[in-house]
Amino acid sequence: MAIANRKTAKILVFSTDKISDPAIDMAGLLKLHYPPTVYTIAVPCSSGIKTKWILHAYEKGFDGVFIAADGTDCVYGETCVEKTGRVIARTHEAMKSKDIDPARLRMAAICSVCSDAFVKQIRSFNEYLLKTLHPET
Amino acid sequence: MEKRIGVYICHCGGNISDYVDVEKVRQSVENDDNIVLAKTTMFACSDANQNEMVEDIKNHNLDAVIVASCSPKLHLVTFRNVTERGDLNKYTYVHANIREQASWAHADNFPAATDKTIQLVKAAIAKSRTTKALEPTKIKAERSVAVIGAGVTGMKAAITLAEKDTHVFLIEKESQVGGWVAKWKDLFMTEETGDMIVKQLHEDLKKRQNVSILLNSEVIGNVGSIGNISLKIKQKEEEFDITVGSVLVATGFEPYKPKEDEFGFGKVPNVITLPEFKQLIDHEKGKLMYNGKKVENIAYIYCVGSRQPEGGNTYCSRYCCTATIHAAIEARKKFKDIQNYHFTRGVRSYGKQELLYAESLQGGDIFLQSYEDDLPTVFARNNRPVVRINDILTGGKELEVEADLVVLVTGMAPRSNDTVGSLFKLPRGRDRFFNEVHMKLRPVETVIDGITIAGACQGPKTILESVNSALAAATKSYSNISKGVLETDPQIATIDVKACTGCGDCIPECPFDAISMVEDKGKTVAVINNTLCKGCGMCTPVCPTDAIDLVAFSNVQIMGMIDALV
Amino acid sequence: MKTQNKNITYDALVIGAGIAGGEAALNLANTGFKVLLVEKDDSVGGKMILLSKVFPTLDCSACITTPKFSEIARHPNITLFTGSQVSNIKKHGENNFTATIHKKPRYVHVEDCTACQKCEQVCPVNVKDQYQYNLVGRKAAYIPFSICSPKAAVIDIDNCTLCGACERACPTNCIDFTMEEEVYDLQVKTIVLSTGFKLFDPLKMPRYGYGVYKNVVTSMQMERLIAPTRPFNNVLRPGDGKMPDKIAYVLCTGSRDVTVGNPICSQICCMYSIKQAQLLMGALPMADVTIYYLNIRSFGKGFEEFYEQAKGMGVNFVKGKIGKITEKENGSLILRYEDINSGKLKEAEHDLVVLSVGALPNNEAKGLFADNLQLDRFNFVDQVELMTSPAKTNIDGVFVAGTASAPMDIPDTILSAGSASSEAISYLMKENAPQPPKSGVKVGQFSGC
Repeated sequence: MAIANRKTAKILVFSTDKISDPAIDMAGLLKLHYPPTVYTIAVPCSSGIKTKWILHAYEKGFDGVFIAADGTDCVYGETCVEKTGRVIARTHEAMKSKDIDPARLRMAAICSVCSDAFVKQIRSFNEYLLKTLHPET
Repeated sequence: MEKRIGVYICHCGGNISDYVDVEKVRQSVENDDNIVLAKTTMFACSDANQNEMVEDIKNHNLDAVIVASCSPKLHLVTFRNVTERGDLNKYTYVHANIREQASWAHADNFPAATDKTIQLVKAAIAKSRTTKALEPTKIKAERSVAVIGAGVTGMKAAITLAEKDTHVFLIEKESQVGGWVAKWKDLFMTEETGDMIVKQLHEDLKKRQNVSILLNSEVIGNVGSIGNISLKIKQKEEEFDITVGSVLVATGFEPYKPKEDEFGFGKVPNVITLPEFKQLIDHEKGKLMYNGKKVENIAYIYCVGSRQPEGGNTYCSRYCCTATIHAAIEARKKFKDIQNYHFTRGVRSYGKQELLYAESLQGGDIFLQSYEDDLPTVFARNNRPVVRINDILTGGKELEVEADLVVLVTGMAPRSNDTVGSLFKLPRGRDRFFNEVHMKLRPVETVIDGITIAGACQGPKTILESVNSALAAATKSYSNISKGVLETDPQIATIDVKACTGCGDCIPECPFDAISMVEDKGKTVAVINNTLCKGCGMCTPVCPTDAIDLVAFSNVQIMGMIDALV
Repeated sequence: MKTQNKNITYDALVIGAGIAGGEAALNLANTGFKVLLVEKDDSVGGKMILLSKVFPTLDCSACITTPKFSEIARHPNITLFTGSQVSNIKKHGENNFTATIHKKPRYVHVEDCTACQKCEQVCPVNVKDQYQYNLVGRKAAYIPFSICSPKAAVIDIDNCTLCGACERACPTNCIDFTMEEEVYDLQVKTIVLSTGFKLFDPLKMPRYGYGVYKNVVTSMQMERLIAPTRPFNNVLRPGDGKMPDKIAYVLCTGSRDVTVGNPICSQICCMYSIKQAQLLMGALPMADVTIYYLNIRSFGKGFEEFYEQAKGMGVNFVKGKIGKITEKENGSLILRYEDINSGKLKEAEHDLVVLSVGALPNNEAKGLFADNLQLDRFNFVDQVELMTSPAKTNIDGVFVAGTASAPMDIPDTILSAGSASSEAISYLMKENAPQPPKSGVKVGQFSGC
């Protein structure tokens, strides 16, 4: 899989409409800058993310996928935590079988005001991805 | 038939166009498949542009539009309505968030922010190509509201809702109504006393047939959503359920409790908090006594638990400057030989309250002001509290006041008990008070549909301000349910019957018991109950044959967006 | 020539279509009541629509006002009259008010005007543009401002020379000098008073030199200079068009000052000045901004943090009282002030001075009534039940919203409008006979009360 050299890693973020996407919005509002090659797709709940989508992102050339999970704040109930965990576990298995570094999928619970936490997570993920996938830069 | 899409890219009066080359964005999408027109606009949300969009839809035969502007949390509904005015199904509308998630987030990098914006718009186009028309779900709305917390805010909200022919359950965990205000006597800006106000509101409530006051009661369970919310109430030993259409949260504040030795609290003798001082002057008669000694010199230390440089309480508590000035004036009027010393960080007697500050100065109260990085200190000398300050107002002189009583002007803190907040999943701001959706557009609504907030649970407020917010929140709660029917987004899961093998793996995943198995043409398949489904998508990833899709978040749509973002 | 007055009937009359009146009208309309919203100006939006961004979120003001007013303009339950004056309000009984409305001629048929600006281009008359707070000129045939609503031209008949150029240039023939004033007799059940506030006029303080020194401007003029719909592309000093690099703010201009007859604090000036300072630091990265203040009153939600943020960005805050401003030959200004931190008299030079003018009552409110509308000692509309029903006036059925009753910021104004509309809805519903409690709700099942 050819990945071009990049100044910043290409990261796909799955956020959630009610909880983590507002935090990402707030990061923008507060001008807490993060790499501009981070793209967000908002879904209703992090436990509804399909393995297939994540694998598709790697196939198309994303360096990393970050799930900004609802955590215990999820409006659809606390089982979200365990179910999102299972999505991650299943995807990790699939990644291993395709020889993709499982660390290229990260998850963190991002509450609706966790903009600082989001930016910190993304920056550290970006560094990891650059180090492992684009060591030349 | 080929889809005909119109794209509008908003300058947001510079909020976007200062950081993103919007014309370049327009040019890079105008020749994409299905794009019939691509325009930039100064304010997409303005009336003129909205009308232009409606015209464009008709003149260019568009069957879908996309606006790339601010967060969809602000204006998704605005543009869905525009779509509808153009006689399109409003769910064909797709929004691209290029302000909060591009121009502002990457304001430090013009070319990169522009590139990202182009991709976000292309992803929206990809989504738009496969977006289908939908019909909103209609829900019957219960014409009743639960008001949680029977302080002045909750009581006033209950009265105004009851006036609007709505049944109100006023839920209070204490054994009586009135909250903090019931404990107060003299108030600023009014001749009325706190207990009088509470009594007047309580009398009004008791007369109303459509108000049920539930004392000693707590909400311990919450099922359902806007229009039909079932709350489990625990009243002493008893538990029962009530059903309401909307919930108004008015759980109030807690006075800040100073830490051990914060300005001598708990360590230096005769250091008390503002609420304790209020009780003292409201109830003492003749001479002001504390610990058996007559009080003459009183030192007030402002901003205790507010405007802290570190920790959670960086906010200003708003009410305390005026409350303290007022209490000090009352003390001076009521008792003999009182001299007040105010150790402030700049007096914030805003608006008409300014007159109290002027009155206080005229009456001989002494105001000192500390430097921001050099707050006053309180220590004991001869078993008496002493306050030391470097005073700005006398050009930085070090001054000491030997006081008989030191009053720590404690601010408002959010409730430490978060039962209600966590039950309803209410987001909190950085100050840990409940957060509104938008301070100006939707100041009493929360991100949870049907749950409104009022009073000091949203942030420090005076009585007058709390009552205004109570009435405003009641109006919103009322408008949620007043029509008896509510429309909600048809965000639900759908099952591809052909692909379903009837394995039943999805059934335990659903938190709302919306999936069951039925016989369909000789085969057992899963079926979704559309009124129970909330559209979380939890069932979708577990299907071994990938037969479940979430409406508006289907495989085709998400993967199409991923393709556009790479 | 004189035509018969037209009779009209609505549930609610909302007077003043600023943000308070707009919010109140929407609340009433959304609960099913028919509302007449009357604005004396030619556009809705009040002062807020002319602002740049709003504190403490720095949202652009237009992004908040324009969609609201767009919703108002097409709401089936709201009728909007612009360029119209209410008078002679009388109460005849509960839910029974009458008033007269004079709708002055616009000389433009709004429904036909496309806002093409051709009339503006040909009009030979040049006068000061009140919507740009006199920073630039406008024509006598003009569109009030770029995001005005209704978006249509208007003829300023007082300054028009009746040359007819606009009429000939108009491609849709929407200009019509035969239009006459229309008078309506209104019958209505409740009234929301949202007549807003006036800005302090700094000409009353000659020692600051406003109106004499060109580089002394008001905060509202600065608001226009940095708004998205600004008159110039840059922040320029009016004296010579230079970009300023030492800007001073003089807080409490016309507030907390008995010598000008306004002893109270205007509640908004600290925050809007801090906001403008932040925006200026963005627009003019090299500029130096100093705020001369007595006390900073950042008391609302997120305000203190916003103040701290400004300090962090490098805005200078000087606790000091301005005595006098004088002008140098190059147009720069010398501020003499008492520096409270040192107790000394000092001087500082700035090349642009912004006077943070206060909020005064709109004294026109009382005159709308034939009945006696009670004012408070500052001439704001009196709130007779301040603690328990802040929107109530001395006339039952007339409710006050926003800055008509006191200075307040936008978040408080929206809450106040919510409060007034809630009271008005209750008042309207009282008209119906008391109804039995709804079936299905078991009253008395609970022992708590």
